Amino acid sequence: MRCAVSPALLAAVLVALASVAGAQPLVVKAGRVYTVSGEVIANGAVVIDGGKITAVGKAGVVPVPKGARTLEAAVATPGLIDAQTSVGLAGFYNVGADRDANEKTGPNQSALRALDAFNPDDPLLDHLLAHGVTLINTGPGPADPLAGQSGVFRTHGEVADEMAVKVPSALVVNLGEIPKATYGKREKLPSTRMGTAAVLRQSFLAGMEYERLRAAGGASKPDRDLAKETLGLVSRGRLPVILVAQRADDIVTALRIGREFNLRMALAGAAEGYLVRDRIRESGAPVLVGPVTQRVASPETFNASYENAALLADDRIRIAIRSGFDGYVPRAHIVLYEAAVAAANGLGFDAALRAITLAPAEILGIDDRFGSLEVGKSGDVVLFDGDPFEYTSHVEVVVVEGEPVYRRTPGAP
Amino acid sequence: MIAARGEPGLQRARTARRLAGCALALWLAAAPDARAQDTVFIGAKIYTGTGTTIDKGMIVVRRGKIASISSVGARAAPPGATVVDVTGKVIIPGLVDTHSHIGVYSRPNVPANADGDDPSKPIQADLRALDAINPDDPGIRMAQAGGVTTVNIMPGSGDPVGGQTAYVKLRGDTVDEMLILPVGVQGGMKMAGGENPKTTHGARKKQGPATRMGIAALQRELFIRAREYQEKTSGVLSSAKKPERDLALEAMVEVLERKRTVHYHCHRADDIMTALRLQDEFGFDLVLQHGTEAWLVAGEIAKRNVPVSIIVADSPGGKLEASRLRLDNGALLERAGVRVAIHSDDPINPSRLFLRLPALAVRGGMSENAALAAVTLEAAKILGLDSRIGSLAPGKDADLVVLSGPPFSVYTQVLQTWIEGELVFDRADPEQRRYATGGFAVGDRYPELEARP
Repeated sequence: MRCAVSPALLAAVLVALASVAGAQPLVVKAGRVYTVSGEVIANGAVVIDGGKITAVGKAGVVPVPKGARTLEAAVATPGLIDAQTSVGLAGFYNVGADRDANEKTGPNQSALRALDAFNPDDPLLDHLLAHGVTLINTGPGPADPLAGQSGVFRTHGEVADEMAVKVPSALVVNLGEIPKATYGKREKLPSTRMGTAAVLRQSFLAGMEYERLRAAGGASKPDRDLAKETLGLVSRGRLPVILVAQRADDIVTALRIGREFNLRMALAGAAEGYLVRDRIRESGAPVLVGPVTQRVASPETFNASYENAALLADDRIRIAIRSGFDGYVPRAHIVLYEAAVAAANGLGFDAALRAITLAPAEILGIDDRFGSLEVGKSGDVVLFDGDPFEYTSHVEVVVVEGEPVYRRTPGAP
Repeated sequence: MIAARGEPGLQRARTARRLAGCALALWLAAAPDARAQDTVFIGAKIYTGTGTTIDKGMIVVRRGKIASISSVGARAAPPGATVVDVTGKVIIPGLVDTHSHIGVYSRPNVPANADGDDPSKPIQADLRALDAINPDDPGIRMAQAGGVTTVNIMPGSGDPVGGQTAYVKLRGDTVDEMLILPVGVQGGMKMAGGENPKTTHGARKKQGPATRMGIAALQRELFIRAREYQEKTSGVLSSAKKPERDLALEAMVEVLERKRTVHYHCHRADDIMTALRLQDEFGFDLVLQHGTEAWLVAGEIAKRNVPVSIIVADSPGGKLEASRLRLDNGALLERAGVRVAIHSDDPINPSRLFLRLPALAVRGGMSENAALAAVTLEAAKILGLDSRIGSLAPGKDADLVVLSGPPFSVYTQVLQTWIEGELVFDRADPEQRRYATGGFAVGDRYPELEARP
């Protein structure tokens, strides 16, 4: 029997059904729309349809699709991005059962993937979302020299694989006091900074060798090895490395190793970055600074400065702000608060907002989809009732892919 | 000019007039010097700390005390006074931190500097924070840079009874110069319940206490021994031999006599109730410290009129008893009529950003007045020092902070911190500024920031 319904009519019905099913367009209006990629738009509007931004401009000028819902607030920004953290792995309760950020059973954990430990139900994810943080580059913590693979995940969602935006995002590598304390107390390698550097160099070498033999094929082709495979990707520049280093000499060691193995790399932490900014700038490596409120605590963070982000930015070093790993209370730092302190300590509003939006997106290679309010990007928008950096302002609504997934209740942040 | 003995009355009268004349001359000569010791702060918006503000005010400081506080123009500035022009700035009372570990956990945090928790035994009532405070701790300079002027420096929470706390001002080269009360009871008594003492003594040391019931039993035993010691030393049981002097029990008798306040670290609601139950049984002055779940038992706390000094943190979690930490704790307690202070628990929160904590409490719904009081007058009351500090009023200590803007704005900087009329922190000094920003130890290597529009 010939089909009574024409394909065109069928398509139209399906589109209509899709709209009714919840993919309703959304218009976000704000007294100040911070696109980050361009100018601030006074009395602006951002239109989101099908989960993506379809228009940005002045409210009243920008065409609004039929049936669009409207949200309005004083200020709108792109969804905030934490450049490096361990939330989702370093569990909320900080007990054996939920501690999954630091393997500590061997110095080379390159095979480990954040994806396999990320817990979408960790309460800290909702806490971050309530502060406008829509994406986190999360992964292993500071205990192991080669700690494992980080990944960029949404803070809203139910299943890790669906929340994953980019996995793996980088290999996390740690220098300085913490990895050598982890193994040194068991009198294992590394127990010194030279031990840590040797472990790193041996591992990168092994990755290069593995790549060479796999490519050569034949009888001596090695069996598949997950750790060496990851290091092989690193050696080919296919996977970047995040090197966490606080003290000036550790930063220089990181750059030295980066040069030796031609690593695509970013520095992270970098409490004393401002003391060696010439070397950092020369290397071209970006820096995931922070947390900005890094405690003046251990010898390697003794010279931490609130002005670090500003001093690095002054030297035209690309920066993004990270929250880093938290071992106790508070169990997570919030990049919104961190950027605020950086803004108030020389970085200024615009650069600080960029450091938690477009800059981490660019550094992590996800700026095609995230980090600014531009047509074609994901409809991730945060609405505030005032200056986002003021302590006394609030996040009113968080929109993810065009859906309001968080609304403030009285007493909430 | 002393009259010689035996002079006749007339001579004595003439001598007396000469004496009076000399005295007058001396007084006239001295008076300008006395007035020149005055410092006058002119032109700032003043938050007095009692809920009132003066849009453009004048504060006269004389010999470390506030002599007067008024609107500009209401009275003349004393002649010869040192003028501090604070036009366009804001002045608040010196901040009072009711819970900090600066000085006993000096930076950098290495074992050599760890002097706040002695885990050798769980009851350490004879230990005194004042014997461990390091006045050279950079953390003290950093706290001055945050506008903090008075601190309750405490032992940590690793022991059910950690030791005697010290009420200090952040000035001086020795701890004796820092202590606010030079003699007598110079602080409180630190006690702790919940997870931390269990972790220190149960899980790690495999000695008691390993449970919350173990903690409470040890604390009750201590109070009972203190009562017995009090009876024996007061001569009530006159037939009994006077006991040997016991430093720990001496301090606990001060607690029973309400001369020494118990600062009880507790997070979970049931740990708060344990502290209240102890107070019900033994009768002492109590401050609940941290009070993470105080909002859950606000009624119980309010009816006993026990104050709570709350912790504010960026996130809940980190341990089970902190998992219900809420930003609106201060707001909920305020609404329930509970007296609230806010503390740093330095190093958990940096003293340099002390004003951030009441600001976040306002974010959570606390009123601005109550939030400012929580770090000034209410905090002073908790330490029993409100006759001297916590608000700007004639007769009180001239402890004040000059800010660049409103107290709760992230963009506001602490410009100057004054203690009893002495300038202890000045952001305009490049070396001191590095205690506010960080980098105080790198000296000349610290770069200059580009001026930004």
